[in-house]
Amino acid sequence: MSKIEIGHGSGGSLTKDLIENIFLKYLNSEELKPLDDASYINLKREKTAITTDSYVVRPLFFPGGNIGKLSVCGTVNDLLVSGSVPEYLSLGFIIEEGFPLDSLETILKSINDTAENAGVRVVTGDTKVVEKNKCDGIYINTTGLGELVIPLFLMDVSDGDIVIITGTVGDHGTAVALARDELHIDTLVKSDCASLHELLIPLFDIEGLKWMRDPTRGGVATALAELSEKTGLGVEVFEEKVPVREDVRFISDMLGYDPLYIANEGKALIITSPEAADRIIDNLKKHPLGRDASVIGRVTSNFNRVRLKTRIGGERVLDLLEEELLPRIC
Amino acid sequence: MNKIQEIIKNIHLLVPEGKRVKIMNVCGSHEHTIAYAGIRSLIPENLELIPGPGCPVCICPESDIVNAIILSKKEDVILVTYGDMLRVPTQNGSIRTEGKNYRMVTSPFECLDIARAHPEKKIVFFSIGFETTTAPTAALLEMGVPDNLFILSSHRLTPTIMEVLVKDTEVGIDGFIAPGHVSAIVGSNAWNVFSEKYGIPTVVAGFEPENLLLGILEVLRQLMYKEARTSNVYKSVVKPQGNKQAQKIIEKYFKVAHANWRGIGYIPYSGLELRDEYSVRDAKKVFMLREVKEKNTAGCICAQIILGKSYPSDCTLFRKACNPKNPRGPCMVSFEGACNIWYKTNAAFTSFS
Ligand code: SF4
Repeated sequence: MSKIEIGHGSGGSLTKDLIENIFLKYLNSEELKPLDDASYINLKREKTAITTDSYVVRPLFFPGGNIGKLSVCGTVNDLLVSGSVPEYLSLGFIIEEGFPLDSLETILKSINDTAENAGVRVVTGDTKVVEKNKCDGIYINTTGLGELVIPLFLMDVSDGDIVIITGTVGDHGTAVALARDELHIDTLVKSDCASLHELLIPLFDIEGLKWMRDPTRGGVATALAELSEKTGLGVEVFEEKVPVREDVRFISDMLGYDPLYIANEGKALIITSPEAADRIIDNLKKHPLGRDASVIGRVTSNFNRVRLKTRIGGERVLDLLEEELLPRIC
Repeated sequence: MNKIQEIIKNIHLLVPEGKRVKIMNVCGSHEHTIAYAGIRSLIPENLELIPGPGCPVCICPESDIVNAIILSKKEDVILVTYGDMLRVPTQNGSIRTEGKNYRMVTSPFECLDIARAHPEKKIVFFSIGFETTTAPTAALLEMGVPDNLFILSSHRLTPTIMEVLVKDTEVGIDGFIAPGHVSAIVGSNAWNVFSEKYGIPTVVAGFEPENLLLGILEVLRQLMYKEARTSNVYKSVVKPQGNKQAQKIIEKYFKVAHANWRGIGYIPYSGLELRDEYSVRDAKKVFMLREVKEKNTAGCICAQIILGKSYPSDCTLFRKACNPKNPRGPCMVSFEGACNIWYKTNAAFTSFS
């Protein structure tokens, strides 16, 4: 089986071979093809959103996705929840010497499929190779650019606003945790890793949409705790309204995790005015990715933390935790 | 009104005004349910639910963990244990930070595969916990194990530590919620001593909030009527005699011995060692392990918490120097540890106004 060699990152002929024979096989936008030092792109609107993220997930392949798909979806979703339509993507790879080429091809194909589906063009990229044991297989950085349609600001969130989640929580973190070989549990749990463009772009027109977030690391609880901390407002969350898959609940109970703190990669947390909530829910439910969308809470000025109303009517605080539940989840 | 609301209403009716009532939930999983369901926010302020000693990794003596680390550094040894054990801090770091050859398992039976896959290595299963984890280890031995598999036993007995707690008047426990899983093995009759000898209402309960609340209500009912009985509201799982088969094999392979509890010291007849007939499997004997002097983190009050004398929030390190990412004591490690549970659920925080 062919493998990545140190020379593949040297900038010389091996690099050229790798780029031309492998990378361009899957990634072939007009902008990328000249392989110049920089690519030229056209920006449609005056205002552009930009975001960057690095992906170090372990394992690289997990039920429902792989690091390639994740590195596109994660960045695309960051743009979407910021009220913009993703357009361009850059890709930076750090690859470990000895990494199998066929795995690289699977990852590249995934990147291309996901980007094409999400309507983003990969326009520039870079590859570096490091010695064996100096990184864990492959790390990917993506930067995304999108046209800003509707700027969303946290300061617009106010007392009485409604909190919506677009679907079940905790799927990604659970799937990745189980894909690590320490735990020998067979389940059907898959990562929810998905681009949310079809789900979220239609919401941009709805008056009353205030703020969105993709609740990745730290999950829904962390996203809301940050919202509360930054705005000084409280959030009340109703546990029984939060959709959690049966198997995810079972496994998290067993492992002592709280689904509200587990990472998601295909969900959005939406804050909306009460008037717009129904329209947003109706819109979300029209799409398969929003089938389980649910109003899970509301913003309040009566207190200033995140209060979970438990299924039996008890209360507890959802705070920022000093613990990474699962390191290298994305 | 649904059933849970009804139970809660009755709990309010039965707690005498102006008097503190202290119920200890022995098992870490019960504390988990209490904290995650927000049960403390639903009951009268003068009803105290006190987390007890039932967190296996919290009470496992430091010496055994230090020895496990030493074993894992031997070229020909693979140390195998439960996931939480890997992160428990000691004076010499944790198995994860200082150990070398170690594996995590969720069940002792996985040791068989590891032993067969590595016939050239000595597999040491660091077997910890109460009756619930002793039973599977005994079952593993009963199945017949390969010659290269050894047991580092750090098992403890729940009834014995509960008796220590009862005798300690500082805490003043009014009632016990007995651990559901342990009861499934030892049987609800094992707790009769508390109701009969010490006059303390003791109720076996399960882990769903409703069942647990029902258990609390039953303790209060007995207190109200000045009764002291051992009751069982978890009958679907727990029988009066327990699991005879499990008791038999535990008895076959293990003998009761004086045992060290972390931060607490030696308690007579509170632990289990492999019987002399099985010395060839006993890692302590085979590897001639020596007892290491305990040196816990200054300021860590885990032992006090285990004994029901303090709450996690009483510790000056809680949420500051000590958190699940950087646990300074064993109670912050596992999801059965009171400090860990209180950290994640903010159990000390009760008022939103
Ligand atoms: S908070 Fe940490 S240091 Fe304090 S008692 Fe608990 S485990 Fe020990």
